[in-house]
Amino acid sequence: MFFIYLHFYNLMFSLLFFMGLVFSFLGLYFMMFDYMIFLDWEILSINSFCINMSLIFDYMSFMFMGFVLLISSMVVYYSYEYMYDDMYKNRFLLLVLMFILSMMFMIISPNMISILLGWDGLGLVSYALVIYFQNYNSYNSGMLTVMTNRIGDVAILMCIAWMLNFGSWNYIYYLGFYDFTMNNIIIFSILAAFTKSAQIPFSSWLPAAMAAPTPVSALVHSSTLVTAGVYLMIRFSELLINIDCTFFIVLSMMTMFMSGLGANFEFDLKKIIALSTLSQLGLMMMILFLGFPNLAFFHLLTHAFFKALLFLCAGMIIHVMNNCQDIREMGNVITMIPYTSTCFIISSFSLCGLPFLSGFYSKDLILEVFSMSNMNMLYYVIMMVSVMFTVSYSFRLMNYLMFMGFGNYVFQSYYEGNKMMVSMILLTFFSIFLGVILMSLMFKTPFVIILPFYLKIGPLLSICSGVILAMLFFNKKMVDYMNFTLFSMYFFGNMWFMPFFSTYGLYQYFMLTSNRYFKYIDMGWGEYIFSKSHINYMYLVSKINYLIEFNNVKLFMVSFIFLMIMMLL
Amino acid sequence: MFSLSFLTLFITLIDWYILLIFLMFIMFYMMVSFNMLDWFSMVSYMFGGDILSFSLIILSFWIIFLMVLASSLVYKNMTYYSEFMFMNVLLLIFLMFSFSVNNLFMYYLFFECSLIPTLILIFGWGYQPERLMAGYYLLFYTLFFSLPMLLGIFYINNFCFSMFYFLIYVDYNFYLYISMLLAFLAKMPMIFIHFWLPKAHVEAPISGSMILAGVLLKLGGYGIMRVFFFMKSYYFNYLFLSISLFGIFMVGILCMFQIDMKSLIAYSSVAHMGMVICGLMCMNMLGMIGSLILMIGHGLCSSGMFCLANIAYERSSSRSIFINKGLLTFMPSMCLFWFLLMINNMASPPSMNLLGEILLINSIISWSSISFFYLMFASFMGCLYSIYLYSSINHGLIYKGLLCGYYGYYIEFYLLFLHWLPLNIFFLKIDIISLLVF
Repeated sequence: MFFIYLHFYNLMFSLLFFMGLVFSFLGLYFMMFDYMIFLDWEILSINSFCINMSLIFDYMSFMFMGFVLLISSMVVYYSYEYMYDDMYKNRFLLLVLMFILSMMFMIISPNMISILLGWDGLGLVSYALVIYFQNYNSYNSGMLTVMTNRIGDVAILMCIAWMLNFGSWNYIYYLGFYDFTMNNIIIFSILAAFTKSAQIPFSSWLPAAMAAPTPVSALVHSSTLVTAGVYLMIRFSELLINIDCTFFIVLSMMTMFMSGLGANFEFDLKKIIALSTLSQLGLMMMILFLGFPNLAFFHLLTHAFFKALLFLCAGMIIHVMNNCQDIREMGNVITMIPYTSTCFIISSFSLCGLPFLSGFYSKDLILEVFSMSNMNMLYYVIMMVSVMFTVSYSFRLMNYLMFMGFGNYVFQSYYEGNKMMVSMILLTFFSIFLGVILMSLMFKTPFVIILPFYLKIGPLLSICSGVILAMLFFNKKMVDYMNFTLFSMYFFGNMWFMPFFSTYGLYQYFMLTSNRYFKYIDMGWGEYIFSKSHINYMYLVSKINYLIEFNNVKLFMVSFIFLMIMMLL
Repeated sequence: MFSLSFLTLFITLIDWYILLIFLMFIMFYMMVSFNMLDWFSMVSYMFGGDILSFSLIILSFWIIFLMVLASSLVYKNMTYYSEFMFMNVLLLIFLMFSFSVNNLFMYYLFFECSLIPTLILIFGWGYQPERLMAGYYLLFYTLFFSLPMLLGIFYINNFCFSMFYFLIYVDYNFYLYISMLLAFLAKMPMIFIHFWLPKAHVEAPISGSMILAGVLLKLGGYGIMRVFFFMKSYYFNYLFLSISLFGIFMVGILCMFQIDMKSLIAYSSVAHMGMVICGLMCMNMLGMIGSLILMIGHGLCSSGMFCLANIAYERSSSRSIFINKGLLTFMPSMCLFWFLLMINNMASPPSMNLLGEILLINSIISWSSISFFYLMFASFMGCLYSIYLYSSINHGLIYKGLLCGYYGYYIEFYLLFLHWLPLNIFFLKIDIISLLVF
């Protein structure tokens, strides 16, 4: 049985890797020749509309699919060793494969109905993965995850309903339109994208989804689930010129700010990385709503690789730490597992946007384009502070993990598995070089950036000041100070209380409503008026009958007297 | 075909698996012999059918087949074995007649007739003494709301001297409208007259629940479609539409308060049927087709969910979701079916429920775009209670008081697979529904 599992994992790894390579090359090919293949399968046609299963293959979908497959092949290879002792690792692999499949369907469908296959699939399979471990925490997290994702599904259903007016659900054909209907469609699709990409009113599920096994987190948070919303918005981006995006820009910037700030107060290793994903998603969404979808796509791809790497390294650290995730208990990891720590630091630097790593190319470009697009001072400051926070939590994390002395967990088996190490190589390579590769591939005509000197070095300055901020946060005195203002720590560390608003804040009213409705209507008045009315009527009638029958002596007397009087008269 | 199905009555004396073979045989015979045309065809005496009748007849065949398959406890304990199968086949015959007659009175007759075997199923094979009350509810709700319909039918007969569906031309008024619809709405059930449904489901044996959720609720939808052939009234539909929109909203919330698996599934039936009522009352093409698809999908799906609830019940002897916990630990493959059927219940792709729900949402939004709030909420709550049921049954620690548990039998997997397969494979040939003409 063991060998079957072994072969299954390896087989799937080879398959995914091969497909990833093929799709990436096809992406390059399609990009070079500017091809697009559109397949359409008509499922149902009634009256004047037809439901299609549509598939789109252009450079964007091919390249994204290729990268998703490459990352997931690495993750599958990694999880062979990570899930080695797990009883249900076969189920785990199948779920991961279903997840990847759903993502593929999401990427290649430009149709509102056929996108549901991938979109719902992502939400549901991610639910099954989040509740993979059988504990209370994962149960709750899974519920939060699937519910928030369901809001997005429902929003897509509403898009479908509004799109009926066009007679077909291939939204790709109607991007040039704009009317009242289209306005609704945009609003609902933005809602869908915001739930999937965990933007601000809906962002509480993303750190909660960390209850999933770490390889899944690597997949979910790098390239698959959370980027689905950004991807949908990239496809819809031609429509965004029609509406006022200011509100959405503010929301996505707030997401970035909130999660960056929150990550500085978090002590859970995976949650810090989840929050950093959230802040990067905010960045992508922001630049997308600013009108640069290709930049968002660029950052999506580079981010996918270094974030997957970051999660894999974190998973490795958690693995050797006997599944402890608290960074306060870790320390001096770099002497124990140097290779993983190197990868971790490379990907963290890439995340910070340190020059000439992969993240730098996309992030710096985004920041420069942002600086150039005439936003006001407040926006600029929030943006730069968010970038600073990215650097600060990364360095804080590294401080805790690498450079601090030993934590509580010292006597563990510090062992770097071969398979885990191998799977990090490709990701490390791409976290260093993918930026420059994609930069030269995607932007054949370079962006013209015209900025004054201080704005030009603004991102670099904020990175440098981020390091200082990290030292401040790490400083004992600073921590004491933050403890002194406990409320602010509580507030910022809890994502601005968003998890409470999306759980306790909502369900208590519904439970109350449900309780009362059930008590008063279903078991109360409904029973009384509808179900029991017949019986009650019968009771009434028989009561009257009873009265008549058993009061007969009096009645007869009265009637007798009455009759006598009548007769006498 | 009808004579064949009469023959089936005698088969019940032999054994249940022979009955299964026979049922399948008749079903396939019917599938090949039916003229799948886009009008009411094969008319002879008072029978005939179009795609609407045909699909619901196939559904009732399928559900009865699965009912016989699901009730293995009856065969094991030998609790009135052949009587049970006799009731099933009788029910099948009544259902088949009621779907295939073209006469309004005859439809009414068989509609009422189908109540009798159901009642006997509940009284005879239910578990608890409360089943008498449940049966009483079931009987009297249907009778009370359908007697006005009888008067309505006689009025129609006096008015246009025919009860053939397609020859009726009648000036309706509010009273006629109410009398013709209320019987079906109580059967569907619409919210506020749904109180019999959770009780009947909770007390019914697995076969009773399956047929109740699978086909008997669809009798109402079918009847409404047939009545709307000649009673094209738009004026009062908004009443039922609004009530049902409120219903799908409220029942969704209500499902979260259920601790009884069967009761939860029954309430989810009410929510789905509310959506079907909305679609029917919109009286457009999309609504009709969507209702038909959702009815078939829901018939298969909720029947499968009742099967699952029963499988859990057979292990733990309880329907409470506090006791049935952690099923993943001792029957992991069954958990897959739990998940698949639950996500089908919340309209996941590529199930029939999703298609029906999409079409219904389209039709209801085209009736009034403000109803989007209710629909969004209903769809969201649909996910919520499905996932809630799934996870509270399958996830977590196993109940400590559960002394023994055993894995699923092949027959159970087979049963669930036969629920799941048509539900998810049907979209490949969904074109057939476009033959439905109004």
